[in-house]
Amino acid sequence: MREYIARRILYSLFTIFAVATVLFVMFRMMPGDPTAQVISPALDEASQKRLKEAFGLDRSLPMQYLIYLKNLVTLDWGRSFTSSESVFEILIYRTWNTLLLMGAAMCLTLAIGLNIGMVMGWRRGGKLDVGGTVVSMIFQSAPPFITGILLLIVLSYSLDLFPTGGMHSPGVRPTDLFAFIFTSDFLDHIVLPTITITAYYLATPMLIMRDSMLEVLGSDFVEFARAKGLPPHVVMVRHAARNALLAVTTVSSILLGFAIGGQVIVETVFSWPGMGLLMVEAAASHDYPVAQASFLLLAVIVIAMNLIADISYSYLDPRIKVGS
Amino acid sequence: MTPLRARASMPSGTGALAGALLGVGALLRSQGRIIWASGLGRIGAAIILFFAVVAILAPWLAPHDPWESLRDVSNRIATMRPPSWEFPLGTTTLGRDILSQMIHAARATMLIGLISGAISIVIGANIGLLAGYYGGKLDEVLMRLTDIVYGMPFLPFIIVLISLFGRSQWFVVLAIVVIIWRTSARVVRAQTLALKERQFVSAAKVRGCSDFRVIYRHILPNILPLLLLYTAFNIAWSVIAEAGASFLGFGDPDQLTWGGMLYDLWISGKSRVAWWWFAAPSIAIVLLVSALVFVSRAYEEVANPRLRQR
Repeated sequence: MREYIARRILYSLFTIFAVATVLFVMFRMMPGDPTAQVISPALDEASQKRLKEAFGLDRSLPMQYLIYLKNLVTLDWGRSFTSSESVFEILIYRTWNTLLLMGAAMCLTLAIGLNIGMVMGWRRGGKLDVGGTVVSMIFQSAPPFITGILLLIVLSYSLDLFPTGGMHSPGVRPTDLFAFIFTSDFLDHIVLPTITITAYYLATPMLIMRDSMLEVLGSDFVEFARAKGLPPHVVMVRHAARNALLAVTTVSSILLGFAIGGQVIVETVFSWPGMGLLMVEAAASHDYPVAQASFLLLAVIVIAMNLIADISYSYLDPRIKVGS
Repeated sequence: MTPLRARASMPSGTGALAGALLGVGALLRSQGRIIWASGLGRIGAAIILFFAVVAILAPWLAPHDPWESLRDVSNRIATMRPPSWEFPLGTTTLGRDILSQMIHAARATMLIGLISGAISIVIGANIGLLAGYYGGKLDEVLMRLTDIVYGMPFLPFIIVLISLFGRSQWFVVLAIVVIIWRTSARVVRAQTLALKERQFVSAAKVRGCSDFRVIYRHILPNILPLLLLYTAFNIAWSVIAEAGASFLGFGDPDQLTWGGMLYDLWISGKSRVAWWWFAAPSIAIVLLVSALVFVSRAYEEVANPRLRQR
């Protein structure tokens, strides 16, 4: 078991390294001046030359690659072209905002999806099953910007129930992030983006839970639990649903991989100051140091979540004797 | 389930190709019947067919040039008109006819989805087949590669690639293909691992069939239904990804797509008032993608016997 976890962690580190390498190659293949990716073309001749030396851009390609890796590890990610702040400083602040929104949406998605999916599978062909399947599939087919703008039009522009974007009202300056989370101003702002992400991702855990329930319900131990005369809800929750949860764990990693894309869109629609919005703005204004670093950080989040899903799966399913 | 046998007595050369095409045609017809048998599947198929016809006939169907700023009877530019007899779906801030834009956008949107879906399924199927069949070192290498691609956030990858290489629909297709083959590769590999233990595969090997022949004539026909399913998924994912990239401003500025129309709306700042401009492309995207999802869901219920109604 310990050996399995160690190997998974090693693989994940390797994957991060590989993604960083792909990124390096992509930036070198970029048409035009390759040095433009770390040095702002707006700077004067002398500073450009000085920075070129600092980043090792006057050296050979393999050497540049090594310097690039060293800078990644030592968190020396350069400075933003637009604000000339340190990229690392900008990203740290943004990461928390992204994780906050993502965490809220994921918890809501799983709480709703797993419970409804369980009942859908239990009462196969019922109203909830048919209706839930169609509704969740339609929401899944609507890219999050459509749901997001729709919510904005109805709940913000027309009914004026929620703010149209941002993380806090103008004038409110959060000093302590963790105290700030529990203010009503913050909750007002996080409602719409959370609903948007949840609507988009709900179908995946819900339908997988439903299908997985159907498979489990056909097995002997459920039959046996029923024959023992246990009340139906006990059979459903304690016997069937517990086993059905396993399949959901494997697929949750795929869900999380997709979640990042939705995150980027939702942050843009609701001007949520997270990494996704930062990346879109940086890419659009060709602020390469920021775009590169935020992409890498998003990748690290995806890889880390996959790792967590893998490890928790091996814990949950005693039938899997991995590594032996 | 008895394995679908590739016709072993098939003559070589053009005869084989014709035979293969006939086989695929028959398969599509029989699988189509499965989809048609379910209510949801029928709705999905009808929607897809409708959009396909619109996309093919786009230049003849569109009443106006989608880029032209139209003028009304009093010769003023018809900006921001809500739906009317003259402009059934309204106009944009620049006085462009939204109906005509929608019809032209159907073409580009569906083409990008179809091309990315088709290429990615070919790549995914081959990687899955080779990894599953040969196992060992090759499997290890190919699956590590798949893991790496799984570590790539999808939409951010498209954005970075477009921001580096320029806003062109071909770079959008490239970025989509590079990422979405990963899912089909994993699924096909798992299926191949199960199939290669079956007797008909060992029988073919004993008969002296080459690896190439075993993979493509004996194993491949048995995963075709699965491939059809994942083709539908891949097309749906491509359409969503393209729409997302275009909405964020990373689409091809010379191509009208539904996502691009929503980007125009968003940056015009008129999303508060121009509900018609929001409604048309949004409904089209949701309809097309849910149609694809309905079809694949209908198909999955049958292709996966465990889910079949008892």
